[in-house]
Amino acid sequence: MELELDLSFFYKTTILPECVLIFCLISILILDLILKIKDKNVFFFISLVSLLLSIFILIFQLKEEPVISFLGNFQADNFNKIFRIFIALCSILCIPLSIDFIKCTKLAITEFLIFLLTATIGGMFLCGANDLITIFVSLECLSLCSYLLSGYTKKDVRSNEAVMKYLLIGGTSSSILAYGFSWLYGLSGGEFQLQKIADGLVSTEMYNSFGSLLALVFIIVGIGFKLSLVPFHQWTPDVYEGSPTPVVAFLSVASKIAGLALLVRLFNIVFPFLPNQWHSLLEISAICSMILGNLVAITQTSMKRMLAYSSISQIGYLMIGLVTGNFDGYTSMIVYLLFYIFMNLGTFACIILFGLRTGTDNIRDYSGLILKDPLLTFSLALCLLSLGGIPPLSGFFGKLYLFWCAWKTGLYFLVFIGLFTSVISIYYYLKIIKLLITTENKEVTSYVQSYTVSSFSLLSKNSIEVSIIICVIASIFLGIFMNPIINILQINLHLNTFTNI
Amino acid sequence: MDLVKYLTFSMILFLLGIWGIFLNRKNILIMLMSIELMLLAVDLNFLVFSVYLDDMMGQLFALFVLTVAAAESAIGLAILVITFRIRGTIAVEFINCMKG
Repeated sequence: MELELDLSFFYKTTILPECVLIFCLISILILDLILKIKDKNVFFFISLVSLLLSIFILIFQLKEEPVISFLGNFQADNFNKIFRIFIALCSILCIPLSIDFIKCTKLAITEFLIFLLTATIGGMFLCGANDLITIFVSLECLSLCSYLLSGYTKKDVRSNEAVMKYLLIGGTSSSILAYGFSWLYGLSGGEFQLQKIADGLVSTEMYNSFGSLLALVFIIVGIGFKLSLVPFHQWTPDVYEGSPTPVVAFLSVASKIAGLALLVRLFNIVFPFLPNQWHSLLEISAICSMILGNLVAITQTSMKRMLAYSSISQIGYLMIGLVTGNFDGYTSMIVYLLFYIFMNLGTFACIILFGLRTGTDNIRDYSGLILKDPLLTFSLALCLLSLGGIPPLSGFFGKLYLFWCAWKTGLYFLVFIGLFTSVISIYYYLKIIKLLITTENKEVTSYVQSYTVSSFSLLSKNSIEVSIIICVIASIFLGIFMNPIINILQINLHLNTFTNI
Repeated sequence: MDLVKYLTFSMILFLLGIWGIFLNRKNILIMLMSIELMLLAVDLNFLVFSVYLDDMMGQLFALFVLTVAAAESAIGLAILVITFRIRGTIAVEFINCMKG
């Protein structure tokens, strides 16, 4: 028998990016235990480098053919590779946000990084998971780490309350999801892989029964809680308000990306014969999310609560692409998701910076910020305008493409609701911007007076400002280069694993 | 074996769990126990299907669900301890410092 060094041991075409992250995670743990390093910035450096490395590996993997590996547990096709790139990108942008926050609040750094990286790994596995066990375990890996992260400032009463609510709702939602999975398992005659479940449902002639509808509803409810779609959104504002802000920034993008990938893959592969049912259910919840998220956001007084409702409405916009359900729809959803990462993280970065320097997140206290820090005001205003969809910024182009694709498929009502609610959203974003730049009454709040600006030289920028600059530049200029982005996506995106496209 | 009876039983257990979370808002411990109950009902559902279909994978999934449930309740109890240290009580009605 010949023993050759098998290169497939390194999982070159499948999970090498995740392996890099796991290696980084373990090395951070061991280094922190044995070396007693005083300067913890080394760990940030290690994790940023490994995240960048895994993004590069994923980009190179885009050329490879789709493979199903690990006895069918993991599928690596271009659709979920793009989503895995997005999750790693969120992590890269979120880690600089958390450095200064953790230093100021004097919390343990290593554990924070480990939870963040584990959540990233869980999300990345969730995007590629191809059977029910892998989906469930990686979803729990993501959500258990999110609970721990959102309760990270454990001396804080509000953070404690937030994590309690998050844990109870998250546990409920994952058990609802698992109950749906158990019905899928039983109805398909004991199959576990997604494709085989679809085949099994056909061969047992259960695909149109009450049982599979029940499974569909349970799964929508379970994922809807994770995505904070409207009937299941009540936990979102509380959790966003109480949790530490860098964690909220991570949760608001990474868990949504992972949940969207799961939703798209699960429904397209397992339920191709019930398209009308799940399309109409998701359409209703998208409409509700857009209307309720935008209307309730108007009345909020806390910045983080306002952003929570705004993220609820943004998930409604993303759902439009999913409901459209063809190749263009998915492309527009992915493009808008890319823009959303930068816009949302940019906004959160500005809020973290302001919160660190003044210690408040009330909208009222932002008034007259332009007198103290024009740069921060400018970035915050640009990110908010981009979220609202003001023309030259990238949020506008993303929404335009999304609505155009939906219009072509004939979803006129959905597009009208989308347009109408984006007008509402521009109102409350502009209200904040007016508060920021208003200087008539010449009296600024005590918070803004206590605001201290660090020196403006380029070298002494702290990490949050670096992240702000990246996000602002991306949310201004990405929209202008939208055609190349769409072209690259359309070349690389193969949706041939989805049976009904 | 009568599949319907077993499935009804596990569904009743599951609905009891949901009822415990959404209607009984008195005590965090009871809510954590309700989550356990829901996950165990899922386990029971898997085991019933697994025995009925004579397939091993359902029992494997049940084991995974048990593991995850243990991790989740460990985190839940840890949060409970912290809550008690900060507030001195674990009654749900006093947990309301965020509203909007």
